[in-house]
Amino acid sequence: MAAWDLSVSVEELGSEAPPLKVSVTSDLHIGGVILKVVEKSQIKRDWSDHALWWEQKQQWLLKPSWTLDKCGIHADARLCLTPQHKPLRLLMPNAISVRLRVCFSSPVFRTVMGICKLLNIRHPEELSLLWPVEGKKKKKDKDVEAEVYDITCSPLPSSTILKLANGMPAFYAESPETEAVYKMLAVSQPAPAPETIAKMYRTTNVMEKAQINSRWLDSSRSLLQQGVKENDKLQLRFKYYSFHDVTPQTDVVRLTQLYEQARWAILLEEIECTEEEMMVFAALQYHIGKVSLTEQFVASSPAMDDLDSALQCLEVKMEGESSADDMLETMTAPELHDYLKIFRPKRLTLKGYKQYWFTFKDTTISYYKSKEESCKEPIQQMNLKGCEVAPDVSVAGQKFCIRLLIPGAEGMNEVYLRCEHEQQYSRWMAACRLASKGKTLADSSFSSEVQSIQSFLAMQKTTPSNNTAQTDESINTHSLVSPRYQKKYKPKQLTVRILEAYQNVAQISLTDAIQKFLQIWQALPDFGLAYIVVRFKGCRKDEVLGIANNRLIRIDLSVGDVVKTWRYNTMRQWNVNWDIKQVAIEFDGNVNIAFSCVTADCKIVHEYIGGYIFMSTRGREQSDTLNEELFHKLTGGHEAL
Amino acid sequence: MDDIDAMFSDMLQEMDLLTQSLGEEAESAPLPKPASIPAPQEMNFSIGFTDFNASLHEMEDNDLDALMADLVADISATEEKFATDRDTSKGSAPFAPIPIQPQSNFGLPASTDTSKPATSSNSIAAPPPLPASKPSKEEQEEQIKADKIKLALEKLKEAKVKKLVVKVEIMDGSSKTLMVDERQTVREVMDNLFEKTHCDCNVDWCVCETNPDLQTERGFEDHENLVEPLSTWTRDTENKVVFLEKKDKYEVFRNPQLFYLWKKDKKSQMDMKEKDKEQLLEENFCGASIIVPDLEAILYMKEDGKKSWKQRYFLLRASGLYYSPKGKTKASRDLVCLVQFDNVNVYYCKEYRNKYKAPTDHCFILKHPQIQKESQYIKYLCCDDEVTMTLWVTGIRIAKYGKQLYENYKAAVRKAAGTATWANRTIQASSSASTPSPTPKAKAANGHAPQLPKDTKGPGNQTSFPPPPPSMETLPPPPPDPMLPPPPPDPMLPPPPPAPPASTAKVNKFPPPPRFPQSSFPTPPMDDLPPPPPPPEEAELPPDFLPPPPPSFAPYGGDSLPPPPPDPITSLPPPPPGPQNFASAGGAPPPPPPPPPPPAPAPAAHPSGSVRKMPPAPPKRTTPQQTAPPGGELMSELMTAMLKKRSQQ
Repeated sequence: MAAWDLSVSVEELGSEAPPLKVSVTSDLHIGGVILKVVEKSQIKRDWSDHALWWEQKQQWLLKPSWTLDKCGIHADARLCLTPQHKPLRLLMPNAISVRLRVCFSSPVFRTVMGICKLLNIRHPEELSLLWPVEGKKKKKDKDVEAEVYDITCSPLPSSTILKLANGMPAFYAESPETEAVYKMLAVSQPAPAPETIAKMYRTTNVMEKAQINSRWLDSSRSLLQQGVKENDKLQLRFKYYSFHDVTPQTDVVRLTQLYEQARWAILLEEIECTEEEMMVFAALQYHIGKVSLTEQFVASSPAMDDLDSALQCLEVKMEGESSADDMLETMTAPELHDYLKIFRPKRLTLKGYKQYWFTFKDTTISYYKSKEESCKEPIQQMNLKGCEVAPDVSVAGQKFCIRLLIPGAEGMNEVYLRCEHEQQYSRWMAACRLASKGKTLADSSFSSEVQSIQSFLAMQKTTPSNNTAQTDESINTHSLVSPRYQKKYKPKQLTVRILEAYQNVAQISLTDAIQKFLQIWQALPDFGLAYIVVRFKGCRKDEVLGIANNRLIRIDLSVGDVVKTWRYNTMRQWNVNWDIKQVAIEFDGNVNIAFSCVTADCKIVHEYIGGYIFMSTRGREQSDTLNEELFHKLTGGHEAL
Repeated sequence: MDDIDAMFSDMLQEMDLLTQSLGEEAESAPLPKPASIPAPQEMNFSIGFTDFNASLHEMEDNDLDALMADLVADISATEEKFATDRDTSKGSAPFAPIPIQPQSNFGLPASTDTSKPATSSNSIAAPPPLPASKPSKEEQEEQIKADKIKLALEKLKEAKVKKLVVKVEIMDGSSKTLMVDERQTVREVMDNLFEKTHCDCNVDWCVCETNPDLQTERGFEDHENLVEPLSTWTRDTENKVVFLEKKDKYEVFRNPQLFYLWKKDKKSQMDMKEKDKEQLLEENFCGASIIVPDLEAILYMKEDGKKSWKQRYFLLRASGLYYSPKGKTKASRDLVCLVQFDNVNVYYCKEYRNKYKAPTDHCFILKHPQIQKESQYIKYLCCDDEVTMTLWVTGIRIAKYGKQLYENYKAAVRKAAGTATWANRTIQASSSASTPSPTPKAKAANGHAPQLPKDTKGPGNQTSFPPPPPSMETLPPPPPDPMLPPPPPDPMLPPPPPAPPASTAKVNKFPPPPRFPQSSFPTPPMDDLPPPPPPPEEAELPPDFLPPPPPSFAPYGGDSLPPPPPDPITSLPPPPPGPQNFASAGGAPPPPPPPPPPPAPAPAAHPSGSVRKMPPAPPKRTTPQQTAPPGGELMSELMTAMLKKRSQQ
């Protein structure tokens, strides 16, 4: 067989160096070619990660036993010997960049699996990569070149990664730097400065939201095939909004990143919510930020779990064995006594506060003319159970009022209590809040309630000018809401609104708070909709197709109304005509629709639908083995077949 | 020591309060009762009685009777607990004089023994004696005293539990009266009602509150506590509690597509496959968060304080009820929140076209449960038709209660299914369960035994069989008999005529189990019961295998059963726990009403208000019928403890 020269460039020789010429025959297999090239290059190193890339055909030659003939390689081919794993800058959902080595040769689906393995995120099938938005403001953004956390030192994802007892991959523990990276991944980030939010790219309408979805990479092709180069920047995002089997113990990173993605979606108005919902989100963000500073992320390990349960047992025992003294303690409930001022708007008096001697016992406030008369019948008694409590506070104006709406048979009675100073206010406020939930002062949460009120009051003291310093005590409430509400309200007004929502969440733990945030997010009507502008067959104007985890919706672009909903469980089949770029779907009852995609490639639409079908096939039983083949079958398109 | 003194004086104050609330009968709970711990039962009874006298006066005889049964259960449960506590403390307190005899007054001699295992968890109250280091006598006394104080406090706690006597109207115009404990859920109350009414236990049954002032009606959710909303009614309220079937209660779980796919045409809704319905439920109720139906429609809203109704475009979200103001889009950011659901409930309204000139009669309101009269704080809404109204009311309930609603439904289905299979048997078994058998469980539930479902009974039986067969063998073949107190009641009912007839009436209410005709009575017990060895297996069978009770139901007809109960009691001092268990599970008729004279059969008019407030005396409306026994007992105990302490000083 005749020998001929094959030109192969070796990356390690530098891009300037001329390609090496190796003499081959057509029946030489790929492995043999690599061997020859390596010999000729005279470089001694570990070549195990290297593979041949065929540039003209944009194709990896990954089967070492195939012959050149079988691959269709002739003398005119220009090959390149290059490592399969290269560094990449990943923009995480929490807006922080990580530099790590990822696989450039396998399909993106598998690359993402590798990334998630390194980052300790379960269920990688829910995530994918996309191109970041090209910043419109390319003025002087050099300062934005934020810190990049480097973990390129990590082992390749193909190797087995040891995990520590707490679920953290072992290599993070090797140096303080890598440990810091893991902490960054696993702990939610402090609230961003309001300007940062305002400066970031925001989508303002469905059209722009649809643009985002055009940037997803193709899961069935490799990074290099899609033009991604070494050290490029890509975003890692949760793509399929169907989160399987989330367990706080094992999913620390996953949960944190999911929360961050949701938080940014809300701050940047990627998903719309009402004002009331925004305030709840803000309160939860504040709470999560505050708690994650103190309650350092306790990665639970089996040992810790045991300890936990042991402690719980102990607690139960202690409760059971409470001594008579303890019982007396709980039964003689603590009380509050003070001179406060009261004002009842209902009575047609001018806004005059009158001073009385107040006592707070159980869930009831009673007041008397003076301290001396407190043994007599009170002037009035108010049971606060089921009442609404709202703050009416201005730290600057030294006004500490509590507004109570106390339900009665005839309606709600409005009462204002005015306290003298912060300390007094926080105690009475805490008591009122507990009482409204039917708890007494004896409840264990009383002191923490007092504390949380005080720390929130501290927020009002700080001026909103120093945005940069984000310590525990000084959070600008503008950092917690989207720019729309930054414009609508002053920080002080926001503080009051957020405080109102905060009182319902102030006592919950970090994981509960994160999960609550995610729950409310998932309950929003527009949750999980990926928009794509399409043109339906037989229609002249563009419309929007929304793809969710259980349905497709058709939206009128001009009005924004949902015109039609199709559920996947009525779907018989869907087909893609790759030549004319048209997706055709058949539903039960002879309903057929067909559309061409305007803003995104029809492969993206195909992958979305197939992906959601795949997500729904995941069983209840928690098996961590991923049916990769099925995913490609459902999402691959013609190449896969 | 000083602080103990202080504590005591505190306690005394508390007690004073208690006695005040008990009204006139204070004198029957005399403070100086140095007789040491075991206050005779009679005392408690009299207290219990006078306590209820006032409200009982208003009641019908049969109501009274049923109620009495409940009360006795309460009391005896408490008594029993005491007895056990005393028992346990016996070890360390050799001198503690414990006359258990009074127990036999109830014809429930077994109770003291059997209750031991179950209450043992409670016996932490009396720490086991320290055998190793023989404590000095003083120490022992100290210890005993401490225990007593603790016991007293526990009782006080128990006494604080609020109870209401509730009259429930039933569809056919009749009514049932029952006592509801503040810890009971509506589900438990309904189980109780199922037993009393013998209706099929399908999931649609519902306990409703009606308010004639506002012309509203709301079905309580199964997980709610009944006492809480009822205690916010005003004193002169016309409100009623009604027990009826409401189809819309759980319709969303039977036909989720009507709510979640309401936009689809009627035909495709009807054609929905079961599998698809399940999937809908799975999607909306089993995910990480509950999905609320995406309702939106033009509804009428009554402007605050005005008479006019204005049309608005409303949207339902998980976070509340919103409308879009004039000239704005439906976009989330522009929505105005009418109300959030944390503090309000949703009520169906009747005939608002007349009352408020509403455009249609399909209205619902949202209000704080405590508001009982017209108020500017009520949100009035009106729909075009009934379907829309059901849609919105159900949607709001889902938004408010979330997953809980689905849990309720599943529990209701289980209950209904269970009842269907065990049909007549259950009636029999459970009806007996409602009788006041002082099982340990009864104690836990404060006299409310019936809520234990069949499934718990199996294991329950097993565990409470501990010291079994041997003693059983010594028993005469029909072991149940001693335990079946049917005959005793009669002699035990010394009081006036009303009682006995009433009690028979009650017994008769339970249809004799059809499968065991009276003639065949004797046999089943013979077959099933006597062999004592197989208790475990038997226990696995649900309680219905315990037919012995039936005979007891027919004390008048079942002559074949020798009623020699009194003898066994005396001759067999340690009655086997097994039989006792039969009594509790299988159902002896209500044990004898206690000795003291029941209230005079007051002719009293029956006011329509179904919740009877406390005796008029106590000042606070919200402290309805506290069961007294603990109070009296407690005081005497405290006093003794205190006297003792003083004398020591």
